[in-house]
Amino acid sequence: MPNLELAYRAAESPFHRMTPSSKLLYVIGVSFVAIFNTNLYVALALFLFCFSIAAFFTAVPLKTYWTLGKVILPFIIILMIVFPFFYGGQATVGSDEIAIRTPFKDLSWAALGFGGLLALRFLALGVSGLTFAFTTHPSDLVQNLSKRGWDYRIVHAPVLGLVLFPAFLEMGREISITQRIRDLGQDTNPIKRKWVRLKHLAFAMLVLGLRNGQTQAMALDIRGYGAHKTRTFMRPAPRSRGGTIFGWTFFILSIVYLIYQWSPETMQWNMDFS
Amino acid sequence: MVERRVSTGAQSIHFGPFTQGAALTRPPALVVEDYSFWFKIPMDGEAEAALENVSFEIAQGEFVLVLGRSGSGKSTLALNLVGIYPDYFGGHNQGKIMIAHPERGLINRRELEPGERFQLVNMLFQNPQDQIVTLSVEEEVAFALENYLMAPAEIHPRIDRALDLVGLKGFRERSTVKLSGGEKQRVALAAMLAMEPKVLILDEPTSNLDPVGTSEVLDAVDRIREHVDLTLIVIEHEVDAVFDRVDRVLLVDGKTVHGPSDPREFLDQHGLEVRDHLGLWIPQAVEVALELRRSGVPIPRIPLNGDELVDSLSEYRSPKAEGRSEADTIRTAPSSPPDRPAVIDVQNVSFSYEKDQVLKGVHLQAYSNELLAIVGQNGSGKSTLAQLFNGILRPNEGTVLVEGKSTTDYDFAHLVKRVAYIFQVPEKQFIRNTVYDEIAHGVRALGLTEAEAKPRVESFLEGLGLLDHKDKSPYILSHGQKRRLSVACMVVAEPDVVILDEPTFGQDYHQAQRLMQLLRQLADKGAAVVFITHDMRLVAEYADRCAVLAEGRIVYEGTPPELFDAPEVLAHAKLKAPPIHAFSRRLVGRSLLDTGELTRELKEISDAKPRTGV
Repeated sequence: MPNLELAYRAAESPFHRMTPSSKLLYVIGVSFVAIFNTNLYVALALFLFCFSIAAFFTAVPLKTYWTLGKVILPFIIILMIVFPFFYGGQATVGSDEIAIRTPFKDLSWAALGFGGLLALRFLALGVSGLTFAFTTHPSDLVQNLSKRGWDYRIVHAPVLGLVLFPAFLEMGREISITQRIRDLGQDTNPIKRKWVRLKHLAFAMLVLGLRNGQTQAMALDIRGYGAHKTRTFMRPAPRSRGGTIFGWTFFILSIVYLIYQWSPETMQWNMDFS
Repeated sequence: MVERRVSTGAQSIHFGPFTQGAALTRPPALVVEDYSFWFKIPMDGEAEAALENVSFEIAQGEFVLVLGRSGSGKSTLALNLVGIYPDYFGGHNQGKIMIAHPERGLINRRELEPGERFQLVNMLFQNPQDQIVTLSVEEEVAFALENYLMAPAEIHPRIDRALDLVGLKGFRERSTVKLSGGEKQRVALAAMLAMEPKVLILDEPTSNLDPVGTSEVLDAVDRIREHVDLTLIVIEHEVDAVFDRVDRVLLVDGKTVHGPSDPREFLDQHGLEVRDHLGLWIPQAVEVALELRRSGVPIPRIPLNGDELVDSLSEYRSPKAEGRSEADTIRTAPSSPPDRPAVIDVQNVSFSYEKDQVLKGVHLQAYSNELLAIVGQNGSGKSTLAQLFNGILRPNEGTVLVEGKSTTDYDFAHLVKRVAYIFQVPEKQFIRNTVYDEIAHGVRALGLTEAEAKPRVESFLEGLGLLDHKDKSPYILSHGQKRRLSVACMVVAEPDVVILDEPTFGQDYHQAQRLMQLLRQLADKGAAVVFITHDMRLVAEYADRCAVLAEGRIVYEGTPPELFDAPEVLAHAKLKAPPIHAFSRRLVGRSLLDTGELTRELKEISDAKPRTGV
């Protein structure tokens, strides 16, 4: 069955009232800062900011965020633990003083800070991404981007993906089960068997996917999909002047911060462009 | 220009003279004139027509049933009427299809833009899953209207009206993904109705649905006919609930189309030829009436449903049936299961997909030499239960024993050879490039040499009528052939248990009979055959025992007659007895499930009556 955890949650909140493009500016801004920032304090501030937005401005319970957050948490913990061992002097915050001795390598406070920075980076990205997903109706996104000149068929494609992809995955699961039941590649070694099964899976999914795709294309065609260059939208588009100001302000500030960080005086990765 | 020479291709079964229906009483909504269609024209100019010189007219507001064997070209005809063929998926056509335009009158389809055409003639597909393209009900219904640039102020009332018509008022905000099969199909129907087409074609709209889902869709059709001046064309194998609703029937036989004609006249004229010769499903009431007529009992007017059958046979009703109505129930206690060790023993099994608990403390046994039907609503857990039988899934709690040993203690490769599982979609079962290799794969797994395997494979293929296709790709067979092959490749290794998901889905009468006889043979040879189905007629005719699953629990086990005599179980599990169960009681005083048996009893009563000469 499809995983609907990422679906839009209807509610009344400042973020629900924002246009999808304003929210996209916010997410892009967060992504820029999260990815390129090398300062642990800034990463922490960014995460807390994103968390506060999620907690107070989306009307989506934190429990809902946690449902998905717990899925990526092990990945983040692994980053936190593994990456300090690869610390190569990237400036974050903290001294070179040894904080933990391990059989592999002695880790400094700065190395641990580097692990923390990575974790906070992904937490900020995850929380802001979920904020966008929970507060943005897919149809509003299609409408918003279409009105900005994008072809609505291209913008609607992710919505089709959300609807159709789970069924495609289910088909793959059933074909894999059949392979196991019928013991495909029974007379070969395990590696070749994997290869035989992979080839068959690709072929069967291609054949069945094309067949289903043909029906779905028919279903779209007979309902006028692509009959005109544009379309109307029955949902009133979300509109918020405050949201637009917030989105642009956050985006501009993030760019300013990146420029500031990239300047030779403050560049902390010591990248030499000369 | 390439000269087009039309070859006849596969011989269509000769079907006697066909009376064209009476002249239309209302102006035509759709006129097909000398229309032919070819999927492709090879370079040498010779082509096999899929439809040849087809001509018929359908009046405005008519409800027409399209009949035909599996693979006879019903969907091809429908896709041509809508214009998907040849405009979207290629092919060549000649002749005319005229559509009634509200302002321009009867107009050749070619003179209309595709968008305009789809607003006049549209089509609902078999599988609702294939046509849902948005995430909420209201968006789904509005989707086409938005694409046709309708103003939002006009869209909203249309959504409400369409949802009201299909009985889904209050569903606007619902997620499409969380709807049941019947609800999805009705949303898809509402999406079509919102466009306010003049002609709507429904391609097997109930074939994926359980009995309640089927009723919901057909009730929606009734409501639409009551409130909207719409011409409806329905392609349907489930004829019991449809035959008495339609105005006329259209028969697609090979590449020719007969009719449309009045359903009663159609049956009156061709009798049991329709079933025996053409392999079409006919309503049980009609079957009984035609069988009686064949055996010499005078039936002046062919009945189309149970009520009409009871009325037309009022003089032959058994004295035991006097005063009996459909509501009267003669309860029989469920019989005990067979007195032999179970091949499959499900003991207190619970199973969940993450948070969703699908099965709760299920107990069930399957025995050798029997056909066990598992029935229940869409989503009641039938497929999940069946997948526990051969270790595809493992129970969270409880045990599934296969011949006394837990499935978790078996090597999976060994277990699946003993317990064969056959999916509903045959293509998912195929793993080889040819029909021969599909069967041979299972035989080779038994350790036979190529020389030993060949005669066995060929004899199996011959028995299934597939020997002529042995070098073909399994993917290019007809649906019925694919189904038989998917069963054959799983049973060739002679498993102890055979599990089938919807074995006769989308199959015509002949194909279904052939497949069920194959399963009967397997059971007679000692296998335990378990099939999951929504088709209560199939359960009534073939199952030795049935288990009813509702809300994750087995709520009933017994024989089909016992089940159909338990109305509270049927109501709880949202199932329906086949029509014969009710009308046989009113005719002979007890419920029968076999049309042959009822016919014999009625014949005996008829023979015992003194002839009045009327």
